Amino acid sequence: MISPDSAAELRAERRFDLVVAVLIGVIAVLAAILSAIQLDASQASTRDNLQAARLAADLSARIAVSEQAIDSGLGTQQTALMLGIESAAREIAGLQNDDASTSAVGKAQAAAFDKLRAALTATSATTGGQPVDSYTAGLLNATTQQLLTELAEQNRQVDLASAAGAREERGVLGLSVLALAGVLTGLAAVLREGRGGRLSLSAACAMAATTALLAVLAFV
Amino acid sequence: MPGEILVTTASERSAAAVAEIVVPVHERGHGGVALLLTVAAIVAAVISFRAAIISSSASDSWQSALRSEVKRSAAAMEDVRSLYQSELPIAVRILQARIVQAEMLAEAQGQSGPARQALLQEADVQGQIITALSSSSELATAPQYSLPSGGLDLAKRLADLRATYPDLLALNPDGLETTGDRLAHEAELTILALVPTSVAAFLGVLAQPFRRRRMMLLRLGALALAGGMAMFVVVQVVS
Repeated sequence: MISPDSAAELRAERRFDLVVAVLIGVIAVLAAILSAIQLDASQASTRDNLQAARLAADLSARIAVSEQAIDSGLGTQQTALMLGIESAAREIAGLQNDDASTSAVGKAQAAAFDKLRAALTATSATTGGQPVDSYTAGLLNATTQQLLTELAEQNRQVDLASAAGAREERGVLGLSVLALAGVLTGLAAVLREGRGGRLSLSAACAMAATTALLAVLAFV
Repeated sequence: MPGEILVTTASERSAAAVAEIVVPVHERGHGGVALLLTVAAIVAAVISFRAAIISSSASDSWQSALRSEVKRSAAAMEDVRSLYQSELPIAVRILQARIVQAEMLAEAQGQSGPARQALLQEADVQGQIITALSSSSELATAPQYSLPSGGLDLAKRLADLRATYPDLLALNPDGLETTGDRLAHEAELTILALVPTSVAAFLGVLAQPFRRRRMMLLRLGALALAGGMAMFVVVQVVS
C-alpha cells in the first residue's frame, strides 16, 4: 500500500512532467512558426533592398542618358544658331563696308543656316525612336515626371525593406529566446520537481510566452 | 460493515492512483513516441535544409538581377555616350560643312569677280574640313544613317552600336528577378511544411505523459507528420 504523501508527491511529479511535455511541444510548434516568419521576412527584406538598389541604378542611368540626349540636342541647335549669327554679321559687315564678297558669303551662310537647322532638328527627332531597343529608348526619352514617379517607388522599396528587416529582427529575437526556453525546459527536466526545477520551468514558460508575442509582432 | 466498505474503497482508489502514477519500464507505445519524435526531427531537419537552399537560390537570383541591371545600364550609357559625345559632334561638323559648301557653290553660280572667288574659297575650306573629318565618322558617311531631310538617323546608329554586343543587349534582369520571386515563394511553401511536422512532435511529446490516450495521440502525430511530409513533397514536385 502507498502512503497518501507519496501519492501526492507522485501526482505532483506527474503534473510537472506534463507541463514539461506540453512546453516542449509548444516550443517545437513556435520554432516552426517563427522559422517560417523569419524566412518570409528575411526574403522580403532582401528583395526590397535589391529592388531599391535596382531602381537607384535605373534612375541614375535614366538621368544620365536623358540629360545627354537633351544636352546634345541643345548643342546642335547652338551650332546652327552660331552659323545664323555669323551669316547675319557677315551680311551687315558687307553692307557697311560695301564689300560684295562678304555679303555673298553671308547670304550663302544664311541659306545654309536654314537648311542646317532643319537637318539638325530632324536629327534630334530620331533620338530614342525605332529601331532602338525599348530599354535604351526608355532611358533616352525619360521625362522628369517619370523620374519622380520612379524615385517615389524607390523610396517606398527602401521603407518596405526597413519594415521587413524589423520583422526579421523580431523573428530572430524570438528564436533566440525560444532556444533559451528550450534549454531551461531541459534543465527543469533534469532538476525534476523541486525549487530549482519549478523556477527553471516557470522561466521557460515565461520565455515561451514572450516568444509567442514576438511571433505575433513579427507576423504583423 | 460500513467501515470495511470504506477501507476497501480507499484501497481501491490508492491502487488506481498508483497504477496511474507509477510508470512501467516497458509500457505500450513507448517506442512509438521515440520513433515519432525521431522521424519528426529528421523530417524537420530535411525541410529546413531544403527551404534554406531554395531561399539561398532566390537570393542569388535577386543578386544576379541587380548585377544585370547595373551591367545593362552601364552598357547602354556607354553606347549613348559614344554616339552623342564622340560621334555626333564630328558628324554635325561634317553636316554643317557639307551644307555650307553646297550653299557657297550655289551662290557662286550667280556671282562673278572677287565675290565668286571668295565663295569658291569658302567652299574649298568646307571641302577640306569634310575630307579631314570624314574618315573618322561613320555616322556622317554611311548612307544608311542619312535622313531624306538631310539629317542623321541617330536611332539607327544607336541600334547598330547596341547590336555590336548582343549579349549585353540580351540582359534581362526582370527575368532573373521573376525567377527569384518564384524560388522565394517555393521556399516559403516549403518551410510551412514545418508547422504540421512540429505539431506531430508536439503530439508525440504529449503522448508520453498521457498514457491512456497515447495511441490516439501517436496516431494523430503520425497523421500530422504524414501531412507535413506530403506538403513538402507536393511543393517540391509542383514547383
